[in-house]
Amino acid sequence: MIGEEILYLSVGELSKRIETKKLSSVDLTKAYLDRSEKLGPKLGAYAKLTPEIALQQAEAADKEIKRGHYRGPLHGIPYAAKDLLAVKGLRCTWGAKPYENQLFDYDATVIGHLRRVGAVLLGKAAMIELAGGMGYRFANASLQGASKNPWNTKCWTCGSSSGSGTIVGAALAAFAIGTETWGSIVCPAAYCGISGLRPTYGRVSRYGAMSLSYSMDKIGPLARSAEDCARIFAAIAGHDFADRSTLPIDKAAFTYSASLELGAKPLRIGILNNAWKKIDTAVAKVYGAAEKTLRKYFSSTHSAQLPEGPFEEAGGVIISVEGAAAFRELIRSGKVAQLIDPLGQLSGYVNEQIAGADYLRALQVREILQRKMTELFDTFDVLVAATQPTAATPLEANLETDVVYPDPLGAIGNLCGLPALSVPCGFTDKGLPVGMQFMAKAGNDAAVIQAARAFQQHTDWHRRRPKIA
Amino acid sequence: MSQQKDKPSRREFAKKAAFLSVVAPIAGAGTLAESLPRDPAQEDRPPKLPADFPKLSEQSRAEAEARCETIVKQYSGRFSAEQKEELRRLSYVAQPPLDKLRSYTLQNGDSPALFLKPVVEREKKPAPAAAAAASPAKKP
Repeated sequence: MIGEEILYLSVGELSKRIETKKLSSVDLTKAYLDRSEKLGPKLGAYAKLTPEIALQQAEAADKEIKRGHYRGPLHGIPYAAKDLLAVKGLRCTWGAKPYENQLFDYDATVIGHLRRVGAVLLGKAAMIELAGGMGYRFANASLQGASKNPWNTKCWTCGSSSGSGTIVGAALAAFAIGTETWGSIVCPAAYCGISGLRPTYGRVSRYGAMSLSYSMDKIGPLARSAEDCARIFAAIAGHDFADRSTLPIDKAAFTYSASLELGAKPLRIGILNNAWKKIDTAVAKVYGAAEKTLRKYFSSTHSAQLPEGPFEEAGGVIISVEGAAAFRELIRSGKVAQLIDPLGQLSGYVNEQIAGADYLRALQVREILQRKMTELFDTFDVLVAATQPTAATPLEANLETDVVYPDPLGAIGNLCGLPALSVPCGFTDKGLPVGMQFMAKAGNDAAVIQAARAFQQHTDWHRRRPKIA
Repeated sequence: MSQQKDKPSRREFAKKAAFLSVVAPIAGAGTLAESLPRDPAQEDRPPKLPADFPKLSEQSRAEAEARCETIVKQYSGRFSAEQKEELRRLSYVAQPPLDKLRSYTLQNGDSPALFLKPVVEREKKPAPAAAAAASPAKKP
């Protein structure tokens, strides 16, 4: 009988047991499936569980390992994929009613990579409809309903990788794959007390993934630690001939070993003092304490400032226009009315009207911002800030009126395709997790992993477990 | 002519209103209001907007109204009255970010990042012109 303490182990710890045959992939998979069947529906975690695929892959993993063919740290490890990644023969709903019966006859590149390293697909994670591409006001803007936060089931997990956040936070799988256009990996990571890596744009192929914003979508892992994220990232990163937006082979691939930092230079850390104009007192208190820990363990920490300009506006225009183009048929056919969220039913019509000149202007601003950020990264290797200015919000909160704050950090990071890693850095008095975000220059994903891993070596926030009611 | 002379009599007004109440559904709801004489002072002032609409300049307001009108015309019959009002609000809400973006100073030669190319591939920045000038010229 596998207990909860095993299910909350990191990929690194699970893989050691699997490699040494102290734990079988089948037993682990069955335990996660049992827990997912029991808790998944209550938490709104999954779009679909795939026990047949999971058990078949787990049995194959065990047989191979028994034969001495161990593929690496993800071999036999169960995971969930956001329901916008194509899996041959499985329904892929994109979280939205108009696509509820959609089928693909091929696998997304990411799914193929994970199969090749022997990971076990437990199911498809619930998500916000169309990854929020048509706008949404409420947490329940999903074909699967609202995903509930394991730390407080009256709270949300944040979107749009909402189910991926729930699944990892509640130990329904060892890790999950999410996507981020603006905040959808780092925010669920922060709200759910887990680690989430948003890789550099172009390092992970998006072939077979729903496109919302061609120039801003990224795919990345949500897991228990920065080190787990690094291992998963190493498996899914790489150039892909099927996705022309991927970086060249030598820039896209990523190799990780735990001794990576031994030869690395000490990081120059910039602590951002203008990432959030408004931050909740409870979050500020937790983040302040975490910042002190950070200063203690990094020799070079200085105050840093993000450049100012209409970067959120530029990001908003780019996503709106690219989203309207990606879902033009849905809008024009009127099927957009089938979306659950009232805002999602209408926003696309307005976004479709944004002029080409405004879109190009936003791209000009993006180019200027890229130059400014390159200059900032001449001084710093990694920038740090609270991942979000609030802890998890109530399920019924209106995101348009109740949870409004400027987000220059998210805008800048996503406009420039910069890597970011959010890790838990403490808890509010109400027991909700708070996240700390590390961001580096494009291509330097290793720096955010190094910084976050160092932080986790001196803290144990990532080892805390929620008591799920 | 004086304004007093332009004003229709009560009888004329009632006749016109009765006629238009029949015609309006065909000709469009705006017809009655448009046909009646207006107070020039009122005309200068744009109609009051609901409190949840952002405050906009006249030009931006016209743009937001035009955006909403285009949608409603293009997809006529698709929206309820409530949705039309929400579309109008969303058309207004979309305007301030565009205004802010447009007010940012750009040069004619500023190139757009036509697709996102992360800076990983870029070459190191060229040395400043002053430093370059200070270095001794080399013979070809």
